[in-house]
Amino acid sequence: MPHNSPDMAAALRTFAEESGELLEAMASHLRALLEGDEDMERLHALFRAAHTIKGAGGMFGLDAVVGFTHLVENLLSQLRDGHQPLTPALLELLMDCRDQMEDLLKEALDDGDAAADPALAARSDSLGARLQAALGNTGGGTGGGETASPATAPPPSAALTPATDEDVELERVEADTWHLSLRFSPGVLREGMDPISFLRYLESVGRIVHIATLVDNLPDAEAMDPLNCYFGFEIELESERDKDAIEAVFDFVRDDCQLRLLPPHSRIADYIALIQGLPEGPDRLGEILVAANALTRQELELGLTHQRQFAGQAQVPLGEILIAEGMTHPPVVEAALDRQAQAKGRPGKDKGGESQFVRVHAEKLDELINLVGELVIAGAASHLLARGRRDRRAQEAALTVNRLVEQVRDVTLKLRMVEIGETFNRFHRVVRELGRDLGKDIALDITGAETELDKSMVEKLGDPLMHLVRNAIDHGLEPPEQRLAAGKPERGRVRLNAYHDSGGIVIEIGDDGRGLDRERILARARERGLIGEDETPSDPELYALIFEPGFSTAQTVTNVSGRGVGMDVVKKTIAALRGTVEIDTVLGAGTTIRLRLPLTLAIIEGFLVRVENVPFVLPLESVRECIALSATSAADRRQYVNLRGEVLPYLRLRELFALGGTPPRRENIVVVRHQGNRVGVVVDQLQGELQTVIKPLGRLFRGMRGLSGSSILGSGEVALILDVATLAEIATSRDHNRGGPAAQLQQGASACSTQ
Amino acid sequence: MSKLPAKSTTAASAPAEAASERRQFLTFQVDGELFGVSILRVKEIIEFGNLTPVPMTPPYVRGVINLRGAVVPVLDLAVRFGRPPLNVGRRTCIIILEVPSDEGELVLGTVVDAVNEVLEIPSHLIEPAPSFGARIRPDFIAGMGKTDKGFVVLLEVGRVLSIDELALVGSLASEEDEGVA
Repeated sequence: MPHNSPDMAAALRTFAEESGELLEAMASHLRALLEGDEDMERLHALFRAAHTIKGAGGMFGLDAVVGFTHLVENLLSQLRDGHQPLTPALLELLMDCRDQMEDLLKEALDDGDAAADPALAARSDSLGARLQAALGNTGGGTGGGETASPATAPPPSAALTPATDEDVELERVEADTWHLSLRFSPGVLREGMDPISFLRYLESVGRIVHIATLVDNLPDAEAMDPLNCYFGFEIELESERDKDAIEAVFDFVRDDCQLRLLPPHSRIADYIALIQGLPEGPDRLGEILVAANALTRQELELGLTHQRQFAGQAQVPLGEILIAEGMTHPPVVEAALDRQAQAKGRPGKDKGGESQFVRVHAEKLDELINLVGELVIAGAASHLLARGRRDRRAQEAALTVNRLVEQVRDVTLKLRMVEIGETFNRFHRVVRELGRDLGKDIALDITGAETELDKSMVEKLGDPLMHLVRNAIDHGLEPPEQRLAAGKPERGRVRLNAYHDSGGIVIEIGDDGRGLDRERILARARERGLIGEDETPSDPELYALIFEPGFSTAQTVTNVSGRGVGMDVVKKTIAALRGTVEIDTVLGAGTTIRLRLPLTLAIIEGFLVRVENVPFVLPLESVRECIALSATSAADRRQYVNLRGEVLPYLRLRELFALGGTPPRRENIVVVRHQGNRVGVVVDQLQGELQTVIKPLGRLFRGMRGLSGSSILGSGEVALILDVATLAEIATSRDHNRGGPAAQLQQGASACSTQ
Repeated sequence: MSKLPAKSTTAASAPAEAASERRQFLTFQVDGELFGVSILRVKEIIEFGNLTPVPMTPPYVRGVINLRGAVVPVLDLAVRFGRPPLNVGRRTCIIILEVPSDEGELVLGTVVDAVNEVLEIPSHLIEPAPSFGARIRPDFIAGMGKTDKGFVVLLEVGRVLSIDELALVGSLASEEDEGVA
């Protein structure tokens, strides 16, 4: 296989992506079927997906994938044709097979050889045996079809050749091989397809007994274009497989080749029709067929004579043959139609996950987003300028441009946003496999799958989520006996939920298991000296300990989790994404772990304020109201005000950030809300709402708290985006500490300056 | 003749940057002293202004600027060299530099008192960094360039603006913050 050519590498990459999508679609169809949605269309889609993966895999020589997928496809074909009823057990088997296909593909694409991993190969074999057993239920064979009963094949062709004499009509050739007439179109090489690959792949469905290469189309040396393919092939193939399977070999060049296929012992008339339909002419082809032992000379003579007799009458046009041939094979036509529909980009053809996408390189997207960001800034600047002049028309024009630019920006930013559902769906498999390994019956509930977040974020979330889910299954959920004893349903539930909150995304991983045991964690913490004997930590403080490196209360270490490594990694990963982890737990009723993450590249609706003329942006979602800080409470050193009868703690940004300077005569409080806590932020000036692009502050400021990013204002200034979560934390935790925020920040600032 | 061994030590001790690149340097003044950086590290020179201070950062971080849509941190070289912060004057500039790091090139700005000129210094006129006596950390110095007006301290940009060293501060600040919160 020419894997080394750049074209091939690109094709392989596309194949990897496409097969990934197909596998995803298969998983979603299988789940729907398991849940009782018995739509035939789903079976068709499953079959098509398996078929495409097999076909494409074959092109790249991924034999392990092809071999295994072939069995899956056979079973699917039986199910689709109604030869077998669809049972939950079969669906489970198919689910496992899908997983195996995924693993095989991954292995093959990573290492180029799926057979290399013995464990994987062993699993292929055992699943293969189960598939064979399932197939055996109906007495073997794929999809009934021609091989099982050749007598059913002729009728369509018979209708084609009404004029032929009865004798010839019924006269069958002696050869017991398939005959393939293959003509590649000249452009096939340009499409990145190598005819040789197909011939090689053809050998996976049978043995090539004879092959004749037709070079009749080869023009003179001057006229020849080395990029064109001029070859045709006449092939005798010995194969046990049916017509579909053989045609499937050429799936990928269906548009770029003419393929005519005659089953073994076809009627002579069919051969004659074939010869007539091909451009090389009957004499030349007749010789080839005889040479290939496809026809005996007598058969050829007989056929041609009869044909000549009826030459004046109905000559069967090639097109009709093709149409008739096509009609005999509904799946092929269906697939072709599907393909056509996709090419036309017709919407509404979304059959359960086969959604349509345009692949764009992420870098191009970033470039576009950067440019749009600059456009927004430039637009704002021109708007400012227009406002400064007393020209109403210029103002209006600037306003219109601005509005459009904002729309463009909104759309552009959304391009990078992906739904988290795809990530969530991957856990169906994890839950199923782990549940089986641990003997637990588990249902996975997914909500908020449509919640969007930045693609780069999604990629980084995979590992921590995986860890938390495994943890919930292994530690959170009790074994079935214990669940029943505790009066809970036997089936455990794991929940994955996502929603947007205060300009960030919240992801919850929950279970209805045993919950965290406060006493056990406390005892373990004391044992390890993390907490003194006489200390009584608050619940959040105590639960936070499970994120300590090496902290585990599991009595037995399983191969799934319990070693105490991992939770600390989860916390670190989330912290690196500027997120936080919270734990809600009720002993005996379950645990929910809540990840609160920013949307790194979100459209932030902000509220602009200034302190000491430094611009700060508060996320608008968290801003509740603005009030004036009265001179009397300002003079007072209390750190809270009375807001309509309620205590509102506040912090002064000037002091918190050690900005220095003297406060103006009138200060304002912006009331922000974070997780039910209301906190006042004292600032100098309120400057109103704005929409802005978050720019990360870069590596130099990584790990800084209190600021979540920066943004460029219309004036070209850089504004700093405040991290409301941290501010709220500082303001509310202040009561536990003796010093006010000023004292805290003094510590912080001095620690910096003594660097 | 005595220059020959000196030259070879320069090549050996000064990291590859000075040895392999063409010897053109942008010279500038910080706290009255003349410094130079390899011209290949310099992205552009811009007027000082429109700087947003970032709170709770060490004093050598002056703030961030908007460089055509990118937010770029600006550092005070004087403070980095252990001297009092730079006073902004008429000739104060920001030199935008590309600094190598393990995560690709980083763009950083540095405030300087004034930018002088681009000098070509032949390699035989570059002496190795003195092991003592310089007023800045020896590992910051790639070499001492000899010119008719005296010595120019040629800076090892990768070390002076080492992101690992600078970013440490951020994490310290955050730990302190966590301790408080």
